[in-house]
Amino acid sequence: MKIRTAFATSVVAFLAATGTAQASTTLTILMLEGLDKGAMEAVADAYMAAHPDVTVEIQALPWGQFFQVSDLRLRSGDENIDLIYTDAPVVASYAANGYIAPFGAEIEAQARETLVASAGQAGTFEGELYALPMNSSAQVLYYNIDLLTEAGIEPPAGLTADGQASADDIQAMATEGRWTWERLVEAANAVTKTEDGRTQTWGFAFEQFGELYQLQPLGASLGGAIISDDTMTAADYLDGDAWRQAANWWSGLFNVDEVSPRALGFGEATQMFVNGQLAMFVGGTWNVPAIAESDINFGIAPHPRFAEGAAVTPTGSWYLGVHAASPDAEAATDFATFATLSAEGTGIWFDNLNQLPTTLALLEAIDTDPAYDAFPGSVMRLSAWESRNTAQPRPVTVAFSQLQDAFRTAFVDIANGVDVDEALVTAVDAYDEAARRLNRQ
Amino acid sequence: MKRLTIPLAPIALLPALLGLALFRVYPIVLAVFESLFSTFRGERLFVGFENYILLLTDNGFWQSLWVTLWFNLIINPLQVALALLLALMFVQKVPFIGIFRFLFLIPIGVSLPVAVIIWRIMLLPDGLLNGFLGALGLPPLRFLTSPELALYSIIAIATWKGISYWMIFIIGGLQNISPEIHEAARLEGASSWQRLWLVTLPLLKPTLLFVLVADVTINFLLFAPIFMLTNGGPRNSTNVLMYEAYKSGFVFGDMGRAMAIVVILVALLLVIVGLQFWLLSGRRQGAAS
Repeated sequence: MKIRTAFATSVVAFLAATGTAQASTTLTILMLEGLDKGAMEAVADAYMAAHPDVTVEIQALPWGQFFQVSDLRLRSGDENIDLIYTDAPVVASYAANGYIAPFGAEIEAQARETLVASAGQAGTFEGELYALPMNSSAQVLYYNIDLLTEAGIEPPAGLTADGQASADDIQAMATEGRWTWERLVEAANAVTKTEDGRTQTWGFAFEQFGELYQLQPLGASLGGAIISDDTMTAADYLDGDAWRQAANWWSGLFNVDEVSPRALGFGEATQMFVNGQLAMFVGGTWNVPAIAESDINFGIAPHPRFAEGAAVTPTGSWYLGVHAASPDAEAATDFATFATLSAEGTGIWFDNLNQLPTTLALLEAIDTDPAYDAFPGSVMRLSAWESRNTAQPRPVTVAFSQLQDAFRTAFVDIANGVDVDEALVTAVDAYDEAARRLNRQ
Repeated sequence: MKRLTIPLAPIALLPALLGLALFRVYPIVLAVFESLFSTFRGERLFVGFENYILLLTDNGFWQSLWVTLWFNLIINPLQVALALLLALMFVQKVPFIGIFRFLFLIPIGVSLPVAVIIWRIMLLPDGLLNGFLGALGLPPLRFLTSPELALYSIIAIATWKGISYWMIFIIGGLQNISPEIHEAARLEGASSWQRLWLVTLPLLKPTLLFVLVADVTINFLLFAPIFMLTNGGPRNSTNVLMYEAYKSGFVFGDMGRAMAIVVILVALLLVIVGLQFWLLSGRRQGAAS
C-alpha cells in the first residue's frame, strides 16, 4: 500500500471518528518548473474548490532534467505520480512504452468536439488518445524599439503596446511585413556594441539555445526536413543542402557577426531583453506578460524567414497524460479533462500562461472578439494566424530523444566554432544509429 | 593454553568479502545479465549478444572508446609522474617546504564537485585564467567549449585534484626505503641522479604499481567533471565511455546498450590492469633473479 493512501485512510478514519467523513484523494502531477507550474497551480486551485475531496499536488522539475527524471520515474512505475506533463513529440514514446494510459472513447469524442484536430492528433498514438493538450505554442520576434532606432534601424512592422490590429492587419503584417533572417542580422550588427572586447549590447538571440523546437524553422524555411518520412534516417536531410545553409547562418551569428551570446541558459534571453542588453530575440508568446511589466519600449513582429525561403514557425506544446500505474486513474482522468477540455480549466490556463490555446472556443474568440484588437491580445491573434498558416510540427519518431540530443549537440558545437559539415554529419550518425536500434524487429 | 578451533581468518575476512560481493561482484553480474536484454515498446526481451554486435558498427561507441583510451593514455602517466615529483619534493629538507607541503595537500580537502565548480568559474571566457592571459597580452581561450582544448582542460582539473592523493601513497613508499641503502650508495660515490634511478625508483616499484593500477581504474571510470562541465562535447571530444553509457541508460532509457558499454569498459580495464601487473611485477622478478 502506498504511504499516502495509508495516510489518506488514517485521515478518513479520523474524520469518520469526528463525524465529518469524507473520502480523500491526492493527485500528483509531475511537471516543469516555472510559469507553467504557476498556471497549473491556478487550474488546480479551481479544481480543488469544486472538488473538496481531492488534493492536487504539483512536483516540478527544472527543464534540464525534466525528461530524464520523468522517464525514469514513469519507467519504474512510480505510483506516486498520477499525471504527467509532457512535450508533444514524446507522447508516442510514452504511449509505446506503456507509461501512459489511453483516455477511452467517451473522452476522445469530447476532445474531438472541443479541440482543433491537429492538437488532438498529436496526443493520439495508434488510433487511441493518450494525452490531452494543455495548449499549443507560437514563436514571435521581440524587438527593443529604442535600441533599434538609436542604431538607425527602422523596426519591423509589428504589434506595440499602443497599437490596434484587426485580423486583416495581422494578415498583412505576416504576409508582407515579415523580416528576413538576412535583414535581421544586418540590424543585429548595427545594434551590437562592444567595449574592451566585451559585448555590452547584443543584437539577437534565440530563447531556447540550440533546441530543435526553436531552430527547426531555419532548415524548414529553406525546404529541409530533419529526417526522412519513414523516420529511419537523417542522412541527406539534416546534412542536406537546406540544413547546411541554415546551420551556416546560425554559425555566423556567433562566429562571424558575433551578434549573439553563446550558450544562453533557460530564461536568460528574456532576462537580457528586459535588462536592455539584448535588442531582439525570437521567443514564445509566454514572455509577453513579463516583458510588458518592464520599462522596455518593445514590439512584437512575426517570426522571420529566409529571403529565398518560406515562412515556417515552431508549434506544438505540452500535454497531460494519466500515468498507467496511477492508483487514482479515474480522479486523474477527471482532472485532466477539467484542465484541457472544460471552459473553466482552459480559460484559467490561458489567462495565466498566455499560450496559444487548442480549444475551438478560445481560438474563435481570439479571431473575432474585438478585445483581441488591442495589445497584448493582438499577439495571440498573430499566433493563431501562424498556427494556421506557417506552423510545422516536430518530427514524430521513436528515437525523438536521441534526435533532439543529437540536434542540440550539433548546433551548440556549431555555435562554439565546430565545422558545420562535421557537426551535422556527427548528428546524422547519432540519429541513424538510434533509429536503427529502436526500429529493429 | 588451548588453541581456538574457530576459523578466525575467514570470519575476520567475512565483512570485507561480503562488501566485495555486494558492491563489486553483484553489480558486474547484474550488468552482464542486463546487457543481454533490450526493451521494445515497454516489453523487456532477451536479445542475447545483439547489444554488443550493434556496438561494433556504432560510430558513437568507437569514437567514445577512442576518447577514453586517449584520455587515459595522457592522464595516467601524467598523474603518476607528477605525484612522484611532488612526493620527492615533499620529503626534501629545504627551507619553506612546510608551505609547499600545505599547498600540496589542499586539493585533497576539496570534494570533486566543489573543485569542478571552482574550476568552471575560473575557466569561463571572462574568468580568472583568461584574465591572466589578457594581462599577458594573449587572446582569451575557450577552455571548455573548444574541441581542441576541452579534453585537456578536464585532464588538468582531474590531475590538479588527483595528484596530491597519489603523492601520499608514494611518500609512504619512499619512507619505506631504509636510509642505510641510500647511505651505502652515497659511500659508493653514486650521484643523487644515480641514487634516484638505481636505488629509489626500483625500490619504489611496488608502490608505483599500486598507484598506477588504482589511478587507471579511477580515471577509466571518471564521470563527474564531464557530466558537470562539458556533457561529452564539444564535438564529442570529452565523450568518454562512462558518459556514453550514462547517456544511453539514463537520458535515452536504453539500458541494454548502456550495460553492454559498461561491461566492455570493465573488460577493457581488467585487460589493461592485468597487463600492468604482468609488465611491472614480471620485470621486478626478472631483476631479482
